Amino acid sequence: MLDRELVHKVLSAARRRGGAFAELFVEERASTSIRLDDGKIEELTTGLDRGAGVRVGEGTTYGYAYSNRLDGDALLRAAEAAAAAFKGAAASVVDLREVAPRVVHRAERPAADVAASEKVAWLREVDDAARSFSPEVRQVVGSYGDSVQRVLIAASDGRWVEEERPRIRLYATVVASRDGNIQTGMHGPAGLGGVELFDRKPPRQTAEIAAKRAVTMLDSVPAPAGEMAAVLAPGCGGVLFHEAVGHPLEADIVDKEASVYRGRLGETLASTLVNGVDDATIVNAWGSFSFDDEGSSSERTELFRDGVLSGWMYDRLRAGKDGVPSSGNGRRQSYASPPIPRMTNTYILNGTSKPADVIASTERGVYVTALAGGQVNPATGDFVFGCSEAFLIEGGRVTTPVRGANLIGQAIPVMSAVDAVADDFDTWEGVCGKDGQSVPVGSGSPTLRISRITVGGTGA
Amino acid sequence: MLELGDLCRAAVEAARPGEAVEAFGQEARHTEVKARRGEVEGLTFSESRGIGVRLIAGGRVGFAWAADPSTDEVAATVARARENAALAEPDEFNALPDAASTEPIPALYRAEQADMALDRKVGLALDLERRATSTDPRVTNCDDVVYGDSVSRVAIASTAGVDAGYERTDTWCVVVALAVEGDETQTGFSYRIGRELGELAWEEVADEAVRRAAAMLGATKPASQKVPVVLDPFAGSSFLGVLGGALSAEAVQKGRSLFAERVGEEVGSAAFTLIDDGRELAGPAAAPFDDEGAPTGRTELITAGTLNGFLHNSYTARRGGTISTGNASRGGYRTSPGVGTTNFYVAPGHLSPAELLAKAEGGVLINDVSGVHSGANPISGTFSVGATGWRIGPGGEVGEPLREMTIGSTIPEMLAAVAAVGNDLRFFSSTGVPTILIGEMTVAGV
Repeated sequence: MLDRELVHKVLSAARRRGGAFAELFVEERASTSIRLDDGKIEELTTGLDRGAGVRVGEGTTYGYAYSNRLDGDALLRAAEAAAAAFKGAAASVVDLREVAPRVVHRAERPAADVAASEKVAWLREVDDAARSFSPEVRQVVGSYGDSVQRVLIAASDGRWVEEERPRIRLYATVVASRDGNIQTGMHGPAGLGGVELFDRKPPRQTAEIAAKRAVTMLDSVPAPAGEMAAVLAPGCGGVLFHEAVGHPLEADIVDKEASVYRGRLGETLASTLVNGVDDATIVNAWGSFSFDDEGSSSERTELFRDGVLSGWMYDRLRAGKDGVPSSGNGRRQSYASPPIPRMTNTYILNGTSKPADVIASTERGVYVTALAGGQVNPATGDFVFGCSEAFLIEGGRVTTPVRGANLIGQAIPVMSAVDAVADDFDTWEGVCGKDGQSVPVGSGSPTLRISRITVGGTGA
Repeated sequence: MLELGDLCRAAVEAARPGEAVEAFGQEARHTEVKARRGEVEGLTFSESRGIGVRLIAGGRVGFAWAADPSTDEVAATVARARENAALAEPDEFNALPDAASTEPIPALYRAEQADMALDRKVGLALDLERRATSTDPRVTNCDDVVYGDSVSRVAIASTAGVDAGYERTDTWCVVVALAVEGDETQTGFSYRIGRELGELAWEEVADEAVRRAAAMLGATKPASQKVPVVLDPFAGSSFLGVLGGALSAEAVQKGRSLFAERVGEEVGSAAFTLIDDGRELAGPAAAPFDDEGAPTGRTELITAGTLNGFLHNSYTARRGGTISTGNASRGGYRTSPGVGTTNFYVAPGHLSPAELLAKAEGGVLINDVSGVHSGANPISGTFSVGATGWRIGPGGEVGEPLREMTIGSTIPEMLAAVAAVGNDLRFFSSTGVPTILIGEMTVAGV
């Protein structure tokens, strides 16, 4: 993308006023998105993005500057601007050497090689499958997106890495109604790779899952309010783990003294059934990569072992401050943002219970099969999750669907209240927002039960 | 380097006979300073620009965008929009809006702000952090202290004769304070937006964040109950986003709005009036024209509880047989124009927040809600969100802090239950809300 001599020159300019390291992140991204709405292919959009960001860092202080332009003048100007955060003596740049990836994520059949007309046909399939599912389906929105992000990351310690990250996603939103009652169902598989994703997760199936959710919720009653047990279906527990536990384990939040877990490494802060990891090395998983956005190799980081807190997720700045290696969690949305510690694929690993037994042994509670998203305050540990599909559990059986349910609690007590973990692990692909930056993240878990949690709802 | 308007005009010139082409260009210079423990933690600078091209041919629309394109790349972007249009389905209502005269708003751009030296910005961030960490012994650290600003420019040109542009300056500051007592930590958030640094009232931002953090210390979980609820402006503003989506004509025309078919009907209590005003200078979203060049204006969506109509861009207006309300909205040059709110606010009432609290004895004052984006369904109107706040004591006195609660209801029920609206209208980003008293809501805790 850029020649080595220019990159060396830019990094040297960035170190003109010192700083522990300087780094250049160059990116080109081509993207396609197609939207079907109201039975029609409404719009196709293609975008070409390009830019570079220069960062100088030391301790937890940084200077960052970016530009859309990749010419020498613009890059040197950005380097000067980033250097303004420091006042020291000029420092040198080690000769740049390419680092080989340990894990490579390839697209078997790149989306860029597929005609747009074929992508349009997938969306028509979504519309058709959802509408055929039930006469109560009133509206279908299908969206398809693919992108290829090419990055070059070089830093003053001599690292030079290049990576191509192809991503693909199909999303179905289905609205069903009956007698004025309107409900929505959503489903959106995604992958790092190419269109081979749809061999495993065909568009038709995606549409049917979303349609089934919407139609099921037509029979729903308002969710109960109060404390009860919650059984989370495969994948859902991973989303909760990501929000409530994952965020407070990000090293910037810990460093700011804004994490409930700060200073508690080695303590038992979850049920002994909980084993959690963050793993960017899983081949072709949605949140994976070969190198993070600071050029560190992807890693598998153990977060909880048998309920004991065992690790943090680090970027370069925070790792440098704590005198440890980065865990490869430095990520950014694009060249327009400095990297910060982020999750990749965050999983609760399989236990030994059987999912059917977990439900059968639950006297009263909610069974959550789809989460709409959530939010956490890492400093207090308080979190809240909306449930887009949930059911009552009565006498060990899954019964009536409930709407408007959310789960609310605090990270440590709730993770300590996990009293069953099954063996049916599955993933959920999402987009995580933090400090105004969105990045693709995977979550995953088997069926698990929280013995007591506050359910917010409007019913009795 | 071509001037932004010329870049847009170059795209329009690439139109072929029978094609309608519109180019929307945006460029910005942005500075952000973060302060922490008495020092600058981070400095970010950026310069960016790009254009988005909308092309309509035979009723089919295609869109393509490019970051900082060269003249050749502009032509290539138009060509990609053309290819995209060929695959879309025709829609008789697809057309570009005609040129209309727009009234400039010179107050959006402050030359002094555009030329301001970095030192002053760094100074403000450091002052902000110092004040936030020195007024209450329980607050000695902040999660985030940010000063930010941008100087930006928008240009639009089209084959329908639109050729317009404007410049603006924006500034903001944010404090997230951490209050610590024993093992407990609570956070308090505040921010302000202005057109120049001098308008920011940064001292109040620091003080408010500290006050909100410290006042949450010792919070407990309440019992589940149905009680009067007072939403402070922070909490109220979180709900406005859901209302904005449901009041867009796009949502109505696609059968995704709970307000469809309800024009002329009562959708809220008589105390509730809701306005969108793209020219209101008190709000940060003021602009001379919307994101497809149509003049902005004032739309009273709900008057004393009665629904008057919806927000329109040129497409929904044509489809609905009406005129655009100037609410075409894009998330930057990378997206095509949809329908969005501008300055979207609840009209203030006459009572002070203290007078509202006095009417809600035994209820709950909510200062923050979380999970609205996931916990509220804009189609069915059902929601259940996490909340923190305080119990309201005798005479409306603010009592002990509460956490880990959820409040749940439906949008129609909540609007019908608005008992009174305060006189303290405040803009948060582009939404504005005074304190609101709701008759009764379910508060779930233990």
